[in-house]
Amino acid sequence: MKVYSCLILNKAGGLIYQNNVNPGLNSLSSNDFLVLAGTLHGVHAIASKIKPIPSQAKDDIGVTNTHNTNTNLIATGKSQNANSNQSGLQTIETDFFNLYIFQTLTGLKFVIVTSPNPVVHNLQPMNDFKSISRGELQKQYDSTVKLFRQLYLLFSDFVMKDPFYSLDMPVKSSLFDMRVKELLV
Amino acid sequence: MSKTTRYSGDEMWKNNVEKIQNSELFTLTYGSVVSQLCRDFNNNYQEVNQQLDRMGYNIGMRLIEEFLAKTGAQRCQTFKETAEMISKVGFKIFLNIQPTVTNWTQDGKTFSLVLNENPLADFVELPMGPDNRICRDLWYSQVLCGVLRGALQMVQLDVDVWFVKDVLRGDDQTELRLRLNKFLKDEVPAGED
Amino acid sequence: MSNDNIIYPSVHSFSNLSLSDSSRTGFGYNPYKGPSSNAITPETSNILINKKTVSLTPTSFDSIYDRNILKKVPEISLSSFSFLFCEIVNWTRNNSKGIQDLEQRLNTLGYQIGQRFLELVKTRERIKYSKREIKILEILQFIHGAFWKSIFGKTANELEKSQDIENEYMIIDDIPLVSKFISVPKDYGNLSCSAFTAGIIEGALDSACFPATVTAHSVPKEGLPLRTVFLIKFDESLYTRENLRFN
Repeated sequence: MKVYSCLILNKAGGLIYQNNVNPGLNSLSSNDFLVLAGTLHGVHAIASKIKPIPSQAKDDIGVTNTHNTNTNLIATGKSQNANSNQSGLQTIETDFFNLYIFQTLTGLKFVIVTSPNPVVHNLQPMNDFKSISRGELQKQYDSTVKLFRQLYLLFSDFVMKDPFYSLDMPVKSSLFDMRVKELLV
Repeated sequence: MSKTTRYSGDEMWKNNVEKIQNSELFTLTYGSVVSQLCRDFNNNYQEVNQQLDRMGYNIGMRLIEEFLAKTGAQRCQTFKETAEMISKVGFKIFLNIQPTVTNWTQDGKTFSLVLNENPLADFVELPMGPDNRICRDLWYSQVLCGVLRGALQMVQLDVDVWFVKDVLRGDDQTELRLRLNKFLKDEVPAGED
Repeated sequence: MSNDNIIYPSVHSFSNLSLSDSSRTGFGYNPYKGPSSNAITPETSNILINKKTVSLTPTSFDSIYDRNILKKVPEISLSSFSFLFCEIVNWTRNNSKGIQDLEQRLNTLGYQIGQRFLELVKTRERIKYSKREIKILEILQFIHGAFWKSIFGKTANELEKSQDIENEYMIIDDIPLVSKFISVPKDYGNLSCSAFTAGIIEGALDSACFPATVTAHSVPKEGLPLRTVFLIKFDESLYTRENLRFN
């Protein structure tokens, strides 16, 4: 998986950071990126409303899940997945690119645009086809989980601890830029 | 539960926290700020408290991101859970202490954190003037109140935080109180469930 | 508290102290004058007799004077320090009139820390080595080595002497702890938040009676974007002292 681009959106859907880490994407103008950010923000929110009417049982599961995460954390002190994007738009998969959205509890969104899912040749028998493609997809998804965690940690180090950064405003930190490139290139 | 939670933050402290070998730089830096503020505000300690609180608030709004990034904590379902999270995980990874959660009010909306140690005030003694005003007025570690207020605000909890006791003033323990005013439900980001 | 009760140093920094200075309160050791600066005259003894005192007798069993200063100091999260420092720079920036003023304020905050750290490191060390640095080179090695290590957990990277200017020395830190996460924007010119650390060094040097002015300069190198040079300019008088003593 190759990461083409990385975006960060503030709580209100404003684009605060954008970095084309690897070439390969058609270049978008900075205005296009703003539109993309706003659109994703909106679609993400509306997606969370498009869901089956929650049955009582399902709701209970939801509650226990976040509760379990926290109980685990408090009991073992082991890091959990910081993604709180439960019901919003999580991924877009196309033939040309994949896009993943990670959201923090404070409402920040980290978005990465990556190469598409690995191509699976039609020549393979159906059974294999299924197992391979699922395995590959899962792999790609898992690696984005790790990337998002690293990105979020870099953000809390090089943006949050930088006195020259004002909250919710565009990120200009050169150290953050450098570290993001190191991570994603 | 209490048995399993006693050492909970230790694992994270050991493996996920970059440390300075010596807490004195931190302690002395904070001391330098407090004493500078006392000079800036001409020993008007109420104003010093307010300024420390504001500075803490600014810190809290930023610090919460690292807390979430490092721990992966999700939204707490009860304020009791929040209290546990603050003392067992939050204080642990940032100050390497675990304050005791106690003195809950009946409605479950206010509790105390009792700090047995306080790295901010290590080897600190308030100077005693003839009128002892500084011991009456100054809350030396007020920055902590601001940090908690700012951090919780970012996860949509509107709280008040204040000190009720401080060993620096001659009290028997250092105790701060947190009161939940409101859960800002409308501000919870979409997509969280 | 009225201003009379606070004992201010007679000058901002020891490096500015001269023979003619005397403290406002009538007390305070001036190293340039020697013991006579603390001599008891009818005038000073009168002040002493009428002075209000503060009891130093421990009032509780937990007095800080009873605590062991040699006890192993606990570790602290680097993040906590960095967040605090971030807010310090923010606050100082809002109060300052310009880049130079900002650096001066950071220096002042550091200065008070340096004075205390010198005492602390020396008190702990003295028990081991029982020696005191009296030459410029010795004190520089101490600052670059033991002092740096006890504050930042590592020694500084290089210690150099200026080839062009007689009384200038440089301590170089490749990754300065205090500005590890800070990217100074271009419109802040050559601001270095390590002015704070420069203040710490200056405070320590002044207190050790090596009056100096210390400034911090960002001098990045390939792979080391944060590399910082601390330029130490000793007071002229020191060379006179050193020549008298050691030549």
